[in-house]
Amino acid sequence: MGNLVKKYGYLLMLITSIFVLAGCGKSAKSAEINGASDLPGKRIGVQIGTTGEIYCSDEYEDDKKGTKIERYNKGADAISSLKNGKIDCVIIDEQPAKAFVDKNKELKILDEEFVEEDYAICVSKTQPQLTESLNTALDELKADGTLDAIKTYYLKGEGTRYEAQKGLSHKNGNLIVATNAQFAPYEYHDNGEIIGIDMDMAQALADKLDKKLKILDIEFDSIITAVQGGKADIGIAGMTVTKDRLKNIDFTNSYTTSRQVIIVNTGEGKHALSIQESFKQSFVDDNRYEYILKGLGNTILISLLAVCIGIFLGFIVAVIRATHDMTGNLKLLNFLCRIYLTIIRGTPTMVQLLIIYFVIFASVDISKIFVAILAFGLNSGAYVAEIIRGGIMSLDYGQFEGARSLGLTHTQTMCYVILPQTFKNTLPALANEFIVLIKETSISGYIGLLDLTRGGDIIRGTTYQAFFPLIAVACIYLLLVVGLSALVSKLERSLKKNER
Amino acid sequence: MSDNTIIRVKNMTKAYGDNVVLENINTEIKQGDIIAIIGPSGCGKSTFIRTLNLLEQPTKGELYIDGENILEKGHDINKMRQKVGMVFQHFNLFPNMTILKNITLAPMKTKGISKEDAEKLAMSLLTRVGLEDKANAYPDTLSGGQKQRIAIVRALAMQPEILLFDEPTSALDPEMVQEVLNLMRDLATDGMTMVVVTHEMDFAREVANRVMFFDEKGIKQEGTPEDIFEHPESDRLKNFLSKIV
Repeated sequence: MGNLVKKYGYLLMLITSIFVLAGCGKSAKSAEINGASDLPGKRIGVQIGTTGEIYCSDEYEDDKKGTKIERYNKGADAISSLKNGKIDCVIIDEQPAKAFVDKNKELKILDEEFVEEDYAICVSKTQPQLTESLNTALDELKADGTLDAIKTYYLKGEGTRYEAQKGLSHKNGNLIVATNAQFAPYEYHDNGEIIGIDMDMAQALADKLDKKLKILDIEFDSIITAVQGGKADIGIAGMTVTKDRLKNIDFTNSYTTSRQVIIVNTGEGKHALSIQESFKQSFVDDNRYEYILKGLGNTILISLLAVCIGIFLGFIVAVIRATHDMTGNLKLLNFLCRIYLTIIRGTPTMVQLLIIYFVIFASVDISKIFVAILAFGLNSGAYVAEIIRGGIMSLDYGQFEGARSLGLTHTQTMCYVILPQTFKNTLPALANEFIVLIKETSISGYIGLLDLTRGGDIIRGTTYQAFFPLIAVACIYLLLVVGLSALVSKLERSLKKNER
Repeated sequence: MSDNTIIRVKNMTKAYGDNVVLENINTEIKQGDIIAIIGPSGCGKSTFIRTLNLLEQPTKGELYIDGENILEKGHDINKMRQKVGMVFQHFNLFPNMTILKNITLAPMKTKGISKEDAEKLAMSLLTRVGLEDKANAYPDTLSGGQKQRIAIVRALAMQPEILLFDEPTSALDPEMVQEVLNLMRDLATDGMTMVVVTHEMDFAREVANRVMFFDEKGIKQEGTPEDIFEHPESDRLKNFLSKIV
């Protein structure tokens, strides 16, 4: 074990030093951009699904001047790239831009006038009465000044935060709001809570409708799907009304206006954080380490239970397939198993996860952890099944004959003679599969689940610090995998000790 | 059919696709019989003995065990196999279990015998073959001859009516052949019904009460050892014996 620690210690040091080198970013001054007229030929960063992306795609994509549009899942990732000099500017909504620039002194918003655009709440086309009641509620919130108070609180820091009304019966059920909490000041994580203009407004709307507010934090480009499919009742995420979106979804009246702005990197006023400050910002401030801890808990929970499902399913499928191969029985079951294997092995895990969450359980209010466990378990089962089947088929056929000649049934033969030997022989391959599974759970964030990776992402999105959150997440995965490997080799040795 | 017939084979044929391996076999095995099956390689000896407990499914014909045609649909093959034990060329011990577990597994699981009784029986059988000190060893630690004696004990623990041996000494080093043959002789003396596919002509001559000479898809001559070894009828048997002895 000491040797192991030493070995991995060196590896860790190597990786860390690579990241440290990468982290000592060059002071990346943007290419000269003073306005929209300078954009052609530059590298423009946008967030997927935003007006900025649509605008840039229409205006500059394939303009034959070499303009490159880099699309990011999150505004914060675009900002990080800008800071590192990977892109020349970011086009994004005004208020989030202000929030970004406030925290990054070297960035600047250009005084370029873009058209104003309307933010509105999206509602499924099948729910016109909900759109109507939301419009009525919005009008009331505008009339009584509630909406203005919320905006003033977040934009100017004046007044007090909107407080949910107490003593409501919530007789009209839940109001599930899909959002993407990486878009300050409209929606963002703060001290373990999702807050912002949109979220307070959602609370006010829920109060008006006498419903209980539930927030579903998912990727921005999944919000419309979630609302269409019934995963969420409405979507509020600083969303602009566009022609394309109107084809798929209804919008309420606008609740605020915004503009797109251009952020550039001046390379000046950069306040280099010391390592201690950076560490403190990443983990200590606002108890941000809790995102990592919670995420780690979920990652472990999902991995463990998914492994159990995977082994269980894998063994059953393998036994069915092997039985069919050997005896020709179980034709129908074997056929079903083959369909299962083909589908699972033929499609990416992420797509399976999204399908299970957004399609199969579209209109069911179901725990995301459960969905993730199910998806990863189903996925792993297919790979385990083929590993086990390979193990069964490679076993000496005399083992079957020996057992069957004694009068043991096929099932008894499998349980007492074949599978124990198969398990031992395939243990290295199985362990490998589980290592892959642990790492694969890092895509859980796509259904808005707080896993380890997502925990690091949230910190990265709020602090604009990439180094510590990412390294911490990487190290924790590494430790999990190293620990698992050590356990497995111990198990392997103790299994080998028998028989000798 | 007389009362003491254990196995009766009637018009049995075994083919793999178009390749006929056994054609129209008819024979009977009575209680107390010790039958040696001899013949050149690839003549279907092993296939024949393996059909007797349905490790190979006959293509056509009837196979009676204790008067019941076990080829009829719905017959409990596992129950039948409890009565027909088998010893293989390559022992087929379970490497993941101790010797004791190898022996007690089937009696406990198929007959519902208690662990205590099964182990008592196993230990008495192990003592009989002189391997009681190996009870808690794993198969991979044993020599070939020891493994085969354990395999025989494992089959005996099911208290079968008949034991089938498929070339039990062919995979053994020469110096280990005798310890296995001696055990089989002891079993014969005790009145165990046995069918043995073998290349050990001395064993066939001395121990068997009937010898079957297999060649070209079937039994070419059947009789007492004296009939077979002293009065071979066909040229092929003469030819075979001259090569072997």
